[in-house]
Amino acid sequence: MNIPYFDFIEDPEAALARVPRSQTEISVVCAKGGSSEFVADLLRESGIPARNVAGGMQAYGSFLEPVRVPNSHPEIWQINRRGKGCLSYVVRVGDEAMVVDPSRHIQTYVDFVKNLDAHITRILDTHVHADHVSGGPALASQLNAPYFATAGPGITMGQRVTPLKDGDSLSLGGHVDAMRVLATPGHTPGSMCYLIGGKYLLSGDTLFVNGIGRPDLGGEVEAWARTLFTTLTHRIAKLSNDVTVLPGHYSATSEIGPDGIVSVRLGDLKAKAPELRMSSEQEFVSTMVATAQHPPAAYSDIIRVNLGLAKTEEEQVTEWELGKNECAAARH
Amino acid sequence: MAMHKLDVRGAKCPMPIVKAKKQLDLLVAGDVLEVTATDPGSVKDFQGWAKINQSAELKEQRTEKDETGREVYVHILEKRA
Repeated sequence: MNIPYFDFIEDPEAALARVPRSQTEISVVCAKGGSSEFVADLLRESGIPARNVAGGMQAYGSFLEPVRVPNSHPEIWQINRRGKGCLSYVVRVGDEAMVVDPSRHIQTYVDFVKNLDAHITRILDTHVHADHVSGGPALASQLNAPYFATAGPGITMGQRVTPLKDGDSLSLGGHVDAMRVLATPGHTPGSMCYLIGGKYLLSGDTLFVNGIGRPDLGGEVEAWARTLFTTLTHRIAKLSNDVTVLPGHYSATSEIGPDGIVSVRLGDLKAKAPELRMSSEQEFVSTMVATAQHPPAAYSDIIRVNLGLAKTEEEQVTEWELGKNECAAARH
Repeated sequence: MAMHKLDVRGAKCPMPIVKAKKQLDLLVAGDVLEVTATDPGSVKDFQGWAKINQSAELKEQRTEKDETGREVYVHILEKRA
């Protein structure tokens, strides 16, 4: 529940009366942790068990939790940014690792890979993200390693990128063909999926555990929806049902499996997602148009930064990135 | 009808409003309190507080640079009867 901290300052009794009484400890959170500490103290003083989320949403937003994808060969780690529902990946063979869709908290990735006794040799983004600022260019610059990303045909990115195209194959740690590139435009014109070891599909925002990525973030929902339909029916449909999809986002903790990973077997996703079972392009496009929404205001700013067209500062980015992601296509 | 100033530069929320309220409680109707803060969050916070605050009205807000060149947020409150 949301009660502004100044309600507790102006009329503490009324504000306290709105807080439900229960045995469970209440976590109090605000943007940076100052007001929430004040309110948590007040709650405790009036007998309500409470604790402060130190550092607020700002700190929670930068918390990254690595979880190993069980039995994955090559070794894949899913890095869960719980405060936003963003997922990035570290793939490791021997002493080489590549990072996919890193957040801007690049030191976490550097330290994590170091603890695996490996070093980062490649950094990739599956697409130009709208919901978070990519740590790709910064990592590439710091480590002097190549950064692979594509904005789409004819779109030049401002930073130095090594382009990838459909069918490209990358080796890692002596494992040739560790990763294969699939061009899967739709969510964005340059969206890619990366197939690891023939079995794991890092799907970015093209596929999620319960559905697909929205094609309405570029203001051209009809055109992008058509492209997405082609991608789903011509590329995704042709992949083996036993491929494990590892997406770029999740929206609810229920999407985290008992193994601690957010993933879905492609065959299961095809069976449950109506968008993947539409055989008519018209039906698909109409559905996407009908469920199109306005993206959050900060998205266009973030996209500009990720295209290398703008620079920004920590304080500004933190504010842009506050809150959950809204990358999936809505369903009514 | 006196004019009072409250300097909460450097203070992070909730302190600007905590201190503004303390000061306001000492004033009489018609007095004006000018609060100067560096916390950018104070802009929306003072607006939100003014909506539920019975004892004062938010007359004006402005953003300017202080003598050290820092960006500051000024909130002018008038104590109600």
